[in-house]
Amino acid sequence: MSLLEIDDLSVDYRIGSQMLRAVDHVSLRVERGEAVGIVGESGCGKTSLGLSIPFLLPTNAAISSGTVTLAGHELVGMSERELNRLRWTSVAFVFQGAMNALNPVQRVDRQILEAITAHDPRVERDVANARVLELLDLVGIAPARSKSYPHEFSGGMRQRAMIAMALACRPSLLIADEPTTALDVISQAQILALLSTLRRSEDLSVLMISHDLAAIKRVCDRIVVMYAGIMVEMGTTEEVLGRHGRPAAAAHPYTLALIEAHPDLHGERLLAQGLPGHPPDLSKPIVGCRFADRCPSVMPICRTEAPPTVTLSAGHVAVCHLAAKGAR
Amino acid sequence: MTASTTRGSNHVLEVRDLVVQFAGRGSWRHRRAVKAVDGVSFDIEKGEILALVGESGCGKSTIALSVMRLLEPTSGRIISGGEDLATLRGRALRRARRRVQMIFQDPFGSLNQRQTVYDTVVEPLVIHKLGTTPQERRAMVIEALDLAHLRPPERLASVYPHELSGGQRQRVAIASAMVIRPELVIADEPVSMLDVSARAGILRLMMDLRDRLGTSYLFITHDLAVAWMVADRIAVVYLGRIVEIGPATSLVDGPAHPYTKALLSVSSGDDVSEDGEITSVLSGETPSAANVPSGCRFHPRCPRYLELGEPERCRAEDPQLHVVRRRVPPSSEVYDANAHQCACHFAIEEAP
Repeated sequence: MSLLEIDDLSVDYRIGSQMLRAVDHVSLRVERGEAVGIVGESGCGKTSLGLSIPFLLPTNAAISSGTVTLAGHELVGMSERELNRLRWTSVAFVFQGAMNALNPVQRVDRQILEAITAHDPRVERDVANARVLELLDLVGIAPARSKSYPHEFSGGMRQRAMIAMALACRPSLLIADEPTTALDVISQAQILALLSTLRRSEDLSVLMISHDLAAIKRVCDRIVVMYAGIMVEMGTTEEVLGRHGRPAAAAHPYTLALIEAHPDLHGERLLAQGLPGHPPDLSKPIVGCRFADRCPSVMPICRTEAPPTVTLSAGHVAVCHLAAKGAR
Repeated sequence: MTASTTRGSNHVLEVRDLVVQFAGRGSWRHRRAVKAVDGVSFDIEKGEILALVGESGCGKSTIALSVMRLLEPTSGRIISGGEDLATLRGRALRRARRRVQMIFQDPFGSLNQRQTVYDTVVEPLVIHKLGTTPQERRAMVIEALDLAHLRPPERLASVYPHELSGGQRQRVAIASAMVIRPELVIADEPVSMLDVSARAGILRLMMDLRDRLGTSYLFITHDLAVAWMVADRIAVVYLGRIVEIGPATSLVDGPAHPYTKALLSVSSGDDVSEDGEITSVLSGETPSAANVPSGCRFHPRCPRYLELGEPERCRAEDPQLHVVRRRVPPSSEVYDANAHQCACHFAIEEAP
C-alpha cells in the first residue's frame, strides 16, 4: 500500500452562485520515501490538489468525489478531531512566504517547542528542548541563533525554521507548497538541497507543489503536470524532464511548452515562443481537450472529443490525442 | 574602467562611482552608515540591454532607483544626455526624467486599480506636457497600447486592471513607459511575478521594442538564465559592488568570478550529481551591508579562497575590476566596451 493514495478526487469551489471544479477526477499515489512534484500555471488546480490532502481547503471549497487515504486512514469524511491527530504527526506542511507564517513576537525555538508540546502535552521539558535543538541542527540553524525572533532571520533561514517546525512530530509526508518561490537563487538551491537530504535521512515522503520545473527536477522522483483542473501528464522526472544528457521525453504539448519556456543555460540562446492565451474558464462546460485553444499541435478531434489517457511507458501517462496517435 | 569617455556620445547612461548610503540602526552615537551601493560604474549604449544580476539585498534595485532619482545618491555621477542626473533639481530633473522610465516587478501593485488602462497610460503625457489636444494624446495612447501588443487597443483602453491577466498588466506598464518614448527603460524584475507561459511574451516584447525604437534597457533580475537570454552585457552585483561585467555569452561561457560561477551552476542545474544529490555550491548567506567583510567582500563564502588555502591577500586587499578577457568573440578586434572585467585577485585570466 502506498503512503498516500488519492483516487478520483474532485474539488469544487463555490463562487457566488457558480460552482468551479478546481480539481477534476485526479488520482495520484505517493510511495514511502518518494518525492512527487505537482507543476502547472497559477490557477491550474495544483494547490487545491495539494491542500485537499490534509483538508486545508478554504471554506468555500468542497470535495465532491473521490477518496484520500493516508497510511491506511481514509481522510474524506473523517471528523475534525481525528484529522487534527493526523496533522503534523502524519502529514506536515511548508508554505510559500514563510516570513508570514511564523509568529513575529515569539522566539523561533519557542515556536518549534510549541509544535512539539501541542501534539504531545505529556512530553518532558528536557526532551522537548533537546528535540528543538536537534531539529534546528537538522535544518542547519546554529544553536546560537535559536533564540532569535523571525525578523532577525533572512528569508532562507525562516524557511529553514518552518521546515524544522514541520518535522517536529516526525511526519511521514511533507507537503511543500512553493517552498522556494520567495527566495533567492542561492537560498533556493540551499533549501532544495536540504529537502533532498532530509528525504533520505528522515525517510520522508515529499509532495512538492511548484510552478518551477527546475525546482521540481532537483528534488522529485516523479512529476505530475496539472492543467485546468486535470492531470495531463505524469511520469518519472528523469523521463519527462530529462536529466544528465538524457533528453526530455514529455509527450503532452503543455508539458513541452512549460519546458521550453524555461531558459536552459546549456541550450541555445534563443527566446522561447512562450504560451499565449490563458487556461479555459472552468465555470463553462468544456468540449474536447481543455488545452486545445492554446495547443500548437491542435487537431480537429481535440475540439470534439475528450482526450484518452495514454500509457507511454511504465508509469508514464499523458492525456492527449496526439500522444495516442504517436503511441499507436 | 569600463569605457573611455571619448565614445560618450553613444551612451544613453554613464554611471560613475555611484555610492548610496542609508543611515544604519542603533543609537545615534554608534550608528554606522550602510553602503547599499559602494562605488558602482557602468555605461549603457544606445539600443543596448545591460542586465544587473544579483541576490536580493545586493543593491541592484538601489542602483535602479538612484538612476531614476527616486533615491538620493550619496555620491557619484549619473550622466544622461550630457546632464548629471545626480545633481539636477526641480524642473530640470523633471525634463531629464522624460528620457528614463521604469517598469516594476509587481503588475498587480504598480497599476492603480481605480484607473482604466487609458488613464494609466495617458498620465506620463500629462505630467510631461506632451501632446497638445486630447485627440492627439488619445492617438499616442492607442499607439503605445498597440506597440505593447495590447490588441485591440481601443477596447483595452477602457478596461480596469482587474480585468487583465498578469502578463497583460505588465504590458500596460510597458505601454505607459513607452508612451513618452524614453531613451532608457529601467525594468526591475519585470517577469519574476509572471507565470512561465507569460514570461517569454514580455521578454520578446521588450527586445522587439529595442529593435524597432532603439530603446536601451537596464534590466534587473535575480535570474542569470533570463539575463543571458535577453541582455547584451551582464553585470553581476554582490554586496553593493559589481564583481564581474562582460558580454552575456562571455560571462556565461567563461565566468571569471567564483560568485558568478556559483550562480551559474545553480541556474543551470550543474550542482545536481548523477544520483540526484545536490552539492551545495555556497554556504552561508550574503552578509549585511552594514558589516562588509574586510578585503574581498566575498572571501568568507568563497570556494576559491578555501581552495587556495585562504590567502592573506583576499582578507586584506579589496579587489578592483580589471580586464580578464578582451576579445569577444576571440577573433574580433580589441573593443573596450566588450571587455570582460572581474574583481577577484585570483580571477581566471586569458592572455590578451
